[in-house]
Parts: sequence; structure tokens; C-alpha cells
Amino acid sequence: MNMVFKALADPTRRKVLQLLRLRPMNAGELSDHFSVSKPTMSAHFAVLREAGLIDAGKQGTTITYRLKLSVLEDALLGFSQAFGIGAGSAAPDAETAPELSKGKTS
Amino acid sequence: MIINRLGYAIALAVFILAAAAGLEYAEGAGMLGAEGARRAMQVLIGLILAAYANLMPKQLGRPRRSAHAEARVQAALRAGGWSMTLAGLFYAGVWALAPLPFADIAGTAAVATALAVTLGYALWSYAACRGAGDAAAGR
Repeated sequence: MNMVFKALADPTRRKVLQLLRLRPMNAGELSDHFSVSKPTMSAHFAVLREAGLIDAGKQGTTITYRLKLSVLEDALLGFSQAFGIGAGSAAPDAETAPELSKGKTS
Repeated sequence: MIINRLGYAIALAVFILAAAAGLEYAEGAGMLGAEGARRAMQVLIGLILAAYANLMPKQLGRPRRSAHAEARVQAALRAGGWSMTLAGLFYAGVWALAPLPFADIAGTAAVATALAVTLGYALWSYAACRGAGDAAAGR
């Protein structure tokens, strides 16, 4: 559950979840919605995957992500979005993301 | 995976039977009135329903062929999960707090409504997928 809270605390990851609510998307499609580097986005995807909030399926050479939220996690996402949790830390998170991509995902 | 799920289901069934036996014993020993035992069992059933329905949107299954179908399936799972979870919580709450005759009717009505919403949304999603598939095939 701690990993779920950590995953939902970041606005970028919440935005990813909201995009996946519309339909499954591959990494490229999701990355197009953000002005951060691909390794940073990969780190965000890794955090979401480890928390069990998204499902990654490989189709050929592309990885398609699907939303995998329980009702409780969906409600937590709604609450954190409504109260803007972590909204002020968008820039610092982008700075720390390279660390995440080196394996510091816990 | 299937064995795991089967194991959980069997464990849950054993837990429900044990809880029913425990409540029966408590009632027989005079620790709990008949109404209290009945309420406790119904509250337990409501909470189990909510807990199971909570995980419903996570059961994605195999990937579908089109993104449209995948989105529809996910929306149906989400709608079903939410409606059944809320119904389960309402069922537990109403059996915990409301007068018995009202709890009986309101609890059943809530679960029946949630079931109708779940099935209705699933059928509507299926029809929408079929419609989109036919349109794509030019039929």
C-alpha cells in the first residue's frame, strides 16, 4: 500500500493514470503528453508498474500500458487529484527521476 | 495463478462458515441475541462483497485486439467494481445500523441495483464494441 501512496503522490504519474483511463496507450503515446525525457517517463512507468497500478503488455516491439486500479486505488487517485497532493513538487520530481531510472524506485 | 485464486476462495468460504458457526455458538451461549447474530453475519457478507468487488477492475484478462474494445472492457469493469463495492458497503452499513425490516429490503435492493448496473453496463459495452466492429468492417 505504501508503494501505491508513493505512486499516487506524483502529479505526472497521476496524469499518466488519467490518460490510461481513456484507453490503453503505448509508452510513446504517453510520453507525448509530457515535456520530460523518455528515461524519466520510463522511471515513472516503473514506479506505477511496481505499485500494481498499471499493466504492461508487449506487442511486438511496443509496450502497451493498461490501467489496473482497484476501486480503493481509484478513489485514492481521485482524492489526491482533488486535493492536488504533490502538485508543488512537480519540478523536484523531474529532477529526482533520473535517480529513479538508475534503480531507486522503492 | 488459478490455484492461488482457488485457495483464496476456499479460505474465504472456510472463514464464512467459521464465522457463522462462531455466531451460532455465541447465540446459543447467550453472548449474543438472535438479532445481533443475524446483523453480524449480514455485515460480514456486505464487507466481503465490497472487498471482492474492490478488486474487480484489476481483473483485466488477456489484452483485446483493439484499443476501443480494451477501453470498453476497462470501463465496464470499473463501473461494475464501483457499483458492487458501494452496494457492499451500503449493505454492511444498513445491516449494522438500520431497523431489521428496512435493512432487509434496502440491502437487497442496493445489491440488486448494483448487479443491474454492472450487467447493464457490460451489455451496453459489448453492444458498443460489436457496433464499432461492424462499422469498421463496413457492415
